[in-house]
Amino acid sequence: MKFKCTICGYIYDEAQEGVAFADLPETWQCPWCGAQKSAFEPVAEEAPPQEAASSSPPAEPGELFDPSMQKLSVGQMAALCSNLARGCEKQYMPREAALFGELADWFTAHSPKVEDATVMDVISQLKQDLADYPEVRQTCVRQADRGAQRVLVWGEKVTRMLSSLMDRYLKEDDAMLDGSEIWVCSVCGFVYIGAAAPEFCPVCKVPAWKFNKIERRKPL
Amino acid sequence: MKKTRYAVRNLSLCTKDCLCLYVCPTGATDTEDSIIDRDKCIGCGACADACPSKAISLVPLEMPLPQPKTEAVVQALDVLTSRKVATEQAARSIAGLTESDTLYKLMRAISESSRIMEEDLMRESSYMLPQSENARAFLQALAANPPAADFPVGKVEELLAMMPFQGESE
Repeated sequence: MKFKCTICGYIYDEAQEGVAFADLPETWQCPWCGAQKSAFEPVAEEAPPQEAASSSPPAEPGELFDPSMQKLSVGQMAALCSNLARGCEKQYMPREAALFGELADWFTAHSPKVEDATVMDVISQLKQDLADYPEVRQTCVRQADRGAQRVLVWGEKVTRMLSSLMDRYLKEDDAMLDGSEIWVCSVCGFVYIGAAAPEFCPVCKVPAWKFNKIERRKPL
Repeated sequence: MKKTRYAVRNLSLCTKDCLCLYVCPTGATDTEDSIIDRDKCIGCGACADACPSKAISLVPLEMPLPQPKTEAVVQALDVLTSRKVATEQAARSIAGLTESDTLYKLMRAISESSRIMEEDLMRESSYMLPQSENARAFLQALAANPPAADFPVGKVEELLAMMPFQGESE
């Protein structure tokens, strides 16, 4: 049987490896992206039914979005501004990028403080995201919005990785890093644990230099 | 001929072969800060054609209008964006309080990753292009109704004045 990594697509072929997937230790990780064993799912032996695609309801895009009716939270405005800062940076508009960046920083600093957040809160939010992705994707398919589907494909994989890392933290605690560094893909947000950033991002395929290393806390 | 595009250099790809200096008819590529002089550039594309490291590309002066977004898509994405904002904030707060170096780094990674996903979701929620009509409306609303007394309205006004928004007459 074959098992596929739901994050990066790596295939574990039992016939080739000579070890049953079930017999791999719980600490085994995906050789490409470092995902845990639980991120793998069995590959269906027979091809999926052909009519699946054609039987889905035809796309029927609805009403156009009207931004003047939208109520954004302070945190969303922070992300909106840092996104536009990136948009300016890509177009080599440094002053505009800096201004949007400063607005983003103001919104970030003025986001409502979360006083009693716990690791378990983060875990349950990530799990709720993973539960929501399929329905959000269905909406975007019905609306024939491939750009939105793209952000969901990346986001779901990255969220699955975050969720998997949190589960690992619960099991391993401070031993989790054990001399390794944490790397974040600056394009899609994929998080990788290792001595060096991966050669290519397993989710969005950008090269290693697009990864940022998470630095240690600065001493006070 | 009317200038419709201009050349930009990606410094992380540039290998300083400097052929662009030889082929540029106006000297726009030869600058002390390595950023191609946008005013001098006539958009001929000679530098991009000659560049061995493919570090130069041509960007249109006027971008096409962004793809329209539907209410249903933006509302569906908003569910995810809102929760990722909450995760980003929770992770940042945990990082600020924990004594553990491991948990600090992990939470920093989670908040950074969440922000990157939020930005991407906002991009697909009709805020892709900084010079779009939607971006301008967002800034105008902030200028008209600043969210707090210490909000830097001046920066919003500077952006409104300098950004070449779509649909503005030349």
